[in-house]
Amino acid sequence: MELDYDFMIADLPTVFAGLPNTLLLTAWSLLFAVTLALTLGTVILTGVPVLTQVVIALNTFIKGVPLAVQLLFCYYGMPLLCRWLDGLGVYHHDPRHIPYFWAAVAALACNFGAYLTDVVVSSVRAIDHGQIECAHALGMTRWQTIRRVIVPQGAVIALPGFTNYVIWLLKGTALASLINVSELLIAAQLSAADGYEYLEAYIDAALIYWAVCAGLECAMTKLERRVGTYRRQDVRQAAAISAHGADADDTSSGPSIPSTEPISAVRGATFAHDRAETPTPQPIGA
Amino acid sequence: MLELLPTVLPRLLQALPATLIYWFVPSVLALILGTLLCIARVGRKGVIYWVCTVVISFFRGTPGIVQLYLVFFGLPKLFALIGADIEDWQAGAFFIIATTLNLSCFVCEALRGGYLAVDRGQIETGLSLGYNRWQNFVHVIAPQTLRVSLLNLKNLEIAVMKDTSIAYVIGAACILGTAKTIISAQYGVGQLAILGIAGVCYFVLCAVLEAAFGAASHRLARHERKAVA
Repeated sequence: MELDYDFMIADLPTVFAGLPNTLLLTAWSLLFAVTLALTLGTVILTGVPVLTQVVIALNTFIKGVPLAVQLLFCYYGMPLLCRWLDGLGVYHHDPRHIPYFWAAVAALACNFGAYLTDVVVSSVRAIDHGQIECAHALGMTRWQTIRRVIVPQGAVIALPGFTNYVIWLLKGTALASLINVSELLIAAQLSAADGYEYLEAYIDAALIYWAVCAGLECAMTKLERRVGTYRRQDVRQAAAISAHGADADDTSSGPSIPSTEPISAVRGATFAHDRAETPTPQPIGA
Repeated sequence: MLELLPTVLPRLLQALPATLIYWFVPSVLALILGTLLCIARVGRKGVIYWVCTVVISFFRGTPGIVQLYLVFFGLPKLFALIGADIEDWQAGAFFIIATTLNLSCFVCEALRGGYLAVDRGQIETGLSLGYNRWQNFVHVIAPQTLRVSLLNLKNLEIAVMKDTSIAYVIGAACILGTAKTIISAQYGVGQLAILGIAGVCYFVLCAVLEAAFGAASHRLARHERKAVA
């Protein structure tokens, strides 16, 4: 194929220079998304009367709207917000320097916050209820129960779903190029514009994304194995899978931890991106 | 927002057929291609297995928009090698190809997860009842795999429906692209409202899909319900 290989190799560092921005975008979005997810998840789990319904409705709506629409919405909304904050006197509005980076963070955080809310809710619901009753019986206060029983177990159950969304989020940051936030894909586009060698630059970008995502997935799989070792059920399923002659090392298709509730069981959780949990095999007619 | 609705909504809905095509064609093709990939992925670990694994890893590890650009810029060059000129294909064709490739890999993994959950004994029972491999696949493996994979497939189909919104970056028609055209034609007047309307359009499409898949999974689970009763 007719490719300018010299340019492709020469351009790799230029495209790579966009990676820190992509990672920064991912990290900030993730931070806010997790905060949002924990807050909204707590609201849903405690079942505050009106607030819960509002949160679920909002959650459902966000998941039903494409990320690109949300990014553009924040992009167009950012100048208005800046002007409004300027009017309040808390922010100095400069029309030439509108913080579009934070517009992208806001959109990504809202989008993935909604998905992560489902992860939080389904993970906590997946904890054996006997554990919580046990904690009460032992005389733990509500806060102690949360800190010592719910969080440590819920975090382990949530990890595979969480990993999936981190990778999904990293890939989602590529869409921030639609609103001209400087990141990897924009770096590729800009470097290619001179000689119209877009294909070469995009191949560079794809390779970098691939490497980062594969590395992230590998690291998270290791982490999952490490923190999940105490879960006997997990070990049992791994044994069951390997007994069937399949490779149990791939968490991307069938998660190794089977105990997250199917998302359909989570009240009001629609458009969930959660992976279908593969239930333990049971014969028909059991 | 309401005063914009009568003028904006009909124009957005003009892009609806294109959106539905960009959703439906890749969905069908990816189901076929994904099944083939899945067969390669659950089989013996030969050359085909590793090629499929690498390809799937690539398509799952890179953003959809990058793949879209790669197909849009790369496919004409690839076809030029065999002397075919596809430069004048419509942008939509490239979008469909890119989405199909991307979706196939995700469908493959979804199906593989479902296949691994099928009880080994079921497959052996089918064979012992005298089914040949093909009958066994159709009557035993496929229905059970599908039932387990359905939740994943639903998520994927909804994601594809939403991803049609980025078709406009290569110049294909879509609801979001139309919304952007209207916004720039009006010099940004009512831009948030127009985007909001486009968002609601996508939401409705996704809600319909969700309901359809809910009905389908209810039907596929009917054997188990009977068993419980």
